[in-house]
Amino acid sequence: MEARILEQDNEKIVVIEGRVDTITAMELENVASTLWTQSGITLVFDCEKLEYLSSSGLRVILTAHKQVSANGGKFIVRNLTREVRAVIDLTGFSRILSIE
Amino acid sequence: MEKKLILTSETSEIAKLAVFIEDLSEELNLPKDLMFNINLALEEAVSNVILYAYPDKIEKEILLTARLKDNMLWFELKDYGQEFDPTQAQIADITLPAEEREIGGLGIFLMRQLMDTVEYSRTDGANILIMTKHMN
Repeated sequence: MEARILEQDNEKIVVIEGRVDTITAMELENVASTLWTQSGITLVFDCEKLEYLSSSGLRVILTAHKQVSANGGKFIVRNLTREVRAVIDLTGFSRILSIE
Repeated sequence: MEKKLILTSETSEIAKLAVFIEDLSEELNLPKDLMFNINLALEEAVSNVILYAYPDKIEKEILLTARLKDNMLWFELKDYGQEFDPTQAQIADITLPAEEREIGGLGIFLMRQLMDTVEYSRTDGANILIMTKHMN
């Protein structure tokens, strides 16, 4: 898994590549948590190259959503692959998250 | 068809599980979404064993057996740790709004959703979890 931060059009984008599983979810949390403590930001998870997501990764997404919302910002999940989208739908996260 | 994998009780072993599922999927020509779902269900099951059957214990064995029979995939996960029945664990309530969603309970929810059957038994000091999934 690789997660790098991009800033574009007033958005803070975390570009995620590879597998977010029990091992790598913590790395994603470490990267994203530097952003979600900031107030009023638009935080985007770009998932175009996210190949796999386990419940550990879903927890990071839920935490990001809660933290960003609590700090008056907006959290967006973008470019989901079909397989990852299916997990997001299955767990009811698509009703909670802004998905583009 | 039967394939076996021996893991030890460390989260880094999840990487070996992914390779095992990839090989299995290649061998059986499984579609990508089925491979994804099997990997997800088994990762949740193995993570549970590491966390709850072998808490703070490393280098304990977790045995995975995969079989194909009559178009049905059959997986057995066996460990000799503390008794832990994931089918009795509390399942996440996925209908709650974000503020009320709990962080836990998703793993068991996913296992149940992604597999056709999930059965647990405690036999001769071992936790045995059997999961099945039809291939069609």
